[in-house]
Amino acid sequence: MNPLIQMSPEVCVVLGGCLVCLIGVARRSSARAVTSSVALVTLVVAMALTAWYGRPGDAIQPAGLLITQLSMYVRWITLIVGVLIVLVNAGTPADEERGEFFGMILFSIAGVMLTGCANDLVVLFLAVELVSVPTYILVGLSRTDARASEAAVKYFFLGALAAAIMVYGFSFLYGAAGTTVLRGASGGSLSEHVASAGRLTDFATIGLLLAFAGLSFKIAAVPFHAYAPDVYEGAASSVTGLLGFLPKLAGFAAMIHLLTAIGWQLPTSLLWLLWGVAAATMTVGNVLALLQTNVKRMLAYSSIAHSGYMLIGLLVGPALGAGPMHDGVAALLFYVAVYGTMNLGAFAALGSLTVRDEPAETLDDLAGLSRRAPWTALALTVCAFSLMGFPPTAGFLGKVYVFSSAFSLSPWHPFRTAMVVLVVIAVINSAIGAAYYLRIAAACYLRDADGQSRVSGDFMLRVGLGICGAAMVVLFVIPKPLVDRARYAAAAAHPRRDAHVSVVELPPS
Amino acid sequence: MFTVGLTHYLVLAAAVFCCGLFVMMTKRNAIGILIGVELLLNSVNINLVAFDRYRPIGGTDGQISALFVIVLAAAEAAVAVAICMNLYSNLNTIDVDRGDALHG
Repeated sequence: MNPLIQMSPEVCVVLGGCLVCLIGVARRSSARAVTSSVALVTLVVAMALTAWYGRPGDAIQPAGLLITQLSMYVRWITLIVGVLIVLVNAGTPADEERGEFFGMILFSIAGVMLTGCANDLVVLFLAVELVSVPTYILVGLSRTDARASEAAVKYFFLGALAAAIMVYGFSFLYGAAGTTVLRGASGGSLSEHVASAGRLTDFATIGLLLAFAGLSFKIAAVPFHAYAPDVYEGAASSVTGLLGFLPKLAGFAAMIHLLTAIGWQLPTSLLWLLWGVAAATMTVGNVLALLQTNVKRMLAYSSIAHSGYMLIGLLVGPALGAGPMHDGVAALLFYVAVYGTMNLGAFAALGSLTVRDEPAETLDDLAGLSRRAPWTALALTVCAFSLMGFPPTAGFLGKVYVFSSAFSLSPWHPFRTAMVVLVVIAVINSAIGAAYYLRIAAACYLRDADGQSRVSGDFMLRVGLGICGAAMVVLFVIPKPLVDRARYAAAAAHPRRDAHVSVVELPPS
Repeated sequence: MFTVGLTHYLVLAAAVFCCGLFVMMTKRNAIGILIGVELLLNSVNINLVAFDRYRPIGGTDGQISALFVIVLAAAEAAVAVAICMNLYSNLNTIDVDRGDALHG
């Protein structure tokens, strides 16, 4: 069998994106209207192809790609959340821009899926850029006013800077290893280079530092977070929901790939640096979110804060066979999927509201929403509680997994005390965060009904919003399917298992 | 006899990278900033090709990577010009400091 058949889900999504772009130039408006449905069908077909052909464990792998349980996890959650993203955005673009708009969403989704499969620095770089470049265009397309184009300019130039820093780092990693392959048993690879040197060489350390600096932009971590509030405010709400998921998942997947290649053996200085970044990210995000009255800016800072929590999982690293309570990477992968859904839900709720034909943005707009639109208010509140980490929502489980994974480090681990301190900082931050998420819920339910917002979103948007809200409760009750897949995915990132071994028989849970 | 080695190329690449960073931070014209981005990406190319030439392991991974970086730079430039056109049609300028509607 041609090994490229394993890449058929990605190929399907890219071809679907091209098709959608072509339909978008049709003369008749009724033809352009089907673009969102074509995008949905593409994603469903890609899911079927993932189920049939995307089998990890085949010995022959396409060049530069390695399909492991981690790739499968990234594919599945990208496709599933991708369907929600298309539903939520179904009514966002102007009529004549529908083709480009949904095409770009599909290209970005294909980029995230490729990031999950990348086993080569060039492929990883191109995949991460395939995620980012369409999002710059989406921000610009999402609205016609000056704020969207200003946001697109800021997002593009800072994103291009981050990409250049990242690939500059990749060039040093290449210089250290002599090859661009990340993992592999034969013919040289970065993992082999690190294993034979026994430590990170100087070039590899510089490369890793620069690559992580560039990737911090994708996940909106301090000190590369400054763009997030402006871009989130400038773009339309439903596009903002996707900005919090696709680049973040791609950034974390790329970080996991790099750390797996070096066997999770970070030098102490880099570990402390990441520790500081995690602590600063969650603190800056939560404290600045408290000062906002614009809900979109508030959620942008909340997005920064959540990256800080997820970095804890990355610092803890994988633990073979353990559940997400003990396995940092499994906890991180679970959290990023849950975060993507609840964040999308919160922005979808905002996107469905208008105030005198302008999009609703401030807390005042939401005042008394429960009496005007009880279902939208309920979905928004569920998502806000989930972001806060309050049971009975999946956000609570995500926080529990990430925080508890830090405590499961063995007592003689040199970094255990530092990680426990980091978790204490994270818990304090969650308490700070509760203050502003509760303001959203309180505005909906407790304030007088003097807000002006009305529900005006289309049917697809409301379906997407409903699924996001319901998923938060359902995942709290039945987290096992997602948790198990996150666990298998984390096992693929474990250094003790060779890349090819990691993909075969995993114990059924 | 003075010979040019890997270090010289790496220093050159680092210098070009710093120039790119400087251009990006000081220019206010969007096209000027785009030139800064191109400088950054070209410093990466110098690095890749130099490592390819001077590292003992064979293969041409570095040169091929440099080609891909050039392709990406072209794609980014196309998107950048489109975004600048969009800014110009909204603000009648491509001076990025004039866009100040977003703050908080």
